[in-house]
Amino acid sequence: MTVSPDLALATRDLRKSYGSRVALAGLDLSVPTGVVYGFLGPNGAGKTTTMRLLTGLLHPDSGSIHLLGSPFARGDRRRLFRVGALVESPSFYPYLNGRQNLHALAATGAPVPKNRVEELLELVGLRDRATDKVSGYSLGMKQRLGIAGALLSDPQLLLLDEPANGLDPAGIVAMRETLRHLATIGKTVFVSSHLLAEIQVMADVVGIIAAGRLVREGTMQELLGSQQVVRVRVPRDASVAAIDLLGPIGAATVGAAGAPEADPDAVWLSVPAALNRAAEINRVLASGGIYASGLESGSDLEMLFLELTGGEPVAGSEGTFQGIGTASR
Amino acid sequence: MRVFVSGLRKLVGRPASFVTLGLLAGLLVLIIVATAAVSTRDPSPAAQARALVLVRFPGAYDLILQFILGLGGLFAVIYGAAIAGSEWGWGTLKNAVARGESRTRYLLLTFAAIAVMVAVGLAITFVVGIAAAIVGANIAGVPTTGLTDAATLNRMPAQFVRGWFAVIEEASLGFAIATLARSQLAGIGAGIAFYFGETFARLFLPDVVKYLPFAVAQASLDTSASGNLGGGPGGGGAAGITSLPPDTALLLVAAWLIGSLLVAVVYTERAEITG
Repeated sequence: MTVSPDLALATRDLRKSYGSRVALAGLDLSVPTGVVYGFLGPNGAGKTTTMRLLTGLLHPDSGSIHLLGSPFARGDRRRLFRVGALVESPSFYPYLNGRQNLHALAATGAPVPKNRVEELLELVGLRDRATDKVSGYSLGMKQRLGIAGALLSDPQLLLLDEPANGLDPAGIVAMRETLRHLATIGKTVFVSSHLLAEIQVMADVVGIIAAGRLVREGTMQELLGSQQVVRVRVPRDASVAAIDLLGPIGAATVGAAGAPEADPDAVWLSVPAALNRAAEINRVLASGGIYASGLESGSDLEMLFLELTGGEPVAGSEGTFQGIGTASR
Repeated sequence: MRVFVSGLRKLVGRPASFVTLGLLAGLLVLIIVATAAVSTRDPSPAAQARALVLVRFPGAYDLILQFILGLGGLFAVIYGAAIAGSEWGWGTLKNAVARGESRTRYLLLTFAAIAVMVAVGLAITFVVGIAAAIVGANIAGVPTTGLTDAATLNRMPAQFVRGWFAVIEEASLGFAIATLARSQLAGIGAGIAFYFGETFARLFLPDVVKYLPFAVAQASLDTSASGNLGGGPGGGGAAGITSLPPDTALLLVAAWLIGSLLVAVVYTERAEITG
């Protein structure tokens, strides 16, 4: 098996089972160097197992992992000196303060420059709380400290498992900017997340995993380009007629991700169609005597995710559609 | 070296270190002073003499060390279990491994830090015990002229090293158990059960128990010059219990220590780290 040297991270036919339960059933990831890679999947799809395998916490049943251009197997722990990781929830000594915890972490693995801990405390906004015991930190503060821990060795490859967990909106924006910045200076950021909207605005490349296999991988533009949807809100009692009318344009489905539907007498229909066909859809409905009370168009990672992973759309969940009024992206 | 120094720093700041030391030293003082105070009320001179061995120097030096070894064995196993278990429970071992740290190195250096803490704790407790014995001797009206006995004082460094070795063997047992259990609480519970199980088993299987970790730890002190407290790990068990010669016991202490650490290392190397 050959792996391109341009890849910061690659897995080939990676398999892992826990007893009879298959967690990974032949995962093939290709993460280019210098990008933010969004690793998406529903609960239990194998994201955390993948993270654990990539950091040597678990050993694969079969398959291979390439980290930073070289194979990574048992005994290759030093390859992790150039990798930073935040796997699952951030873990610290609760009786030590934030600074002491970072120093304790810095004592392991690759050597860390002396002032690195202070730099990182500043970067994640914890300098003022650095002398507080971690047991008194909020989840968001622990998460910030975890991200600081992952950055200790100035890694070439950063593996982050749900890094936005517990962060407030300002923290999420700051984290996103930090990760984007890291990618612009040539580092690779691999982010596992269930926050699709966050991944959509942050990632360059996305991989979607379901049932232990990669079901789609590509640049954000490629993926979103393949998933253009127009959504239209119609009276509930006219929904069947509307679906019939829209049939020639695309197979409309009832219910979709987007803003919560406050009106019980209305329903959203999703029509797989190019973004510039929103006006046509409105016209078709009007010609059939059905007047839309809302119209949206956009490319939605969530729709693609649900389609690929076999999930059901959840009304009211996070979406990235533009507001009412046929805005296209 | 970085891991070792960091391990020491972590232990110095850890409440379990102070609580363990405080409890052991407090109990020691309480027992020695109370025994001395109460013994004066015993009408039997023979019983009085037996009770006052802990405050009669120079023999008190060895007996206090034995006593610390006995009672300290329980605390050592708990301490070792607490440190090893928390590495799994808090996920800090996971952090170290994910940074490319060697599992074996991390584990052994963490234990090395425990061994240093045990040495410091043993020294402090011993000094506190001697001070308590002096107080007890004054309460009981026992002269303390043997306090400066040169022969005993010359033997004490070697005895102290034996005692330290024995206590770290007991700590290694808790360390290994908690590693296997991947949990502080389970490790502490199993360690305590092992300690008392061995104590009770002495009554029924003395020829087997004398080879077990707490018994060999207790027997590893050379008490030929001072006699011993006899009995189980607590130092106060049944009289007439068979125990191994000190040098043989010391070898077995080493074997248990190495065995425990080996089990912990092999398990950790092979472990799938989750959670």
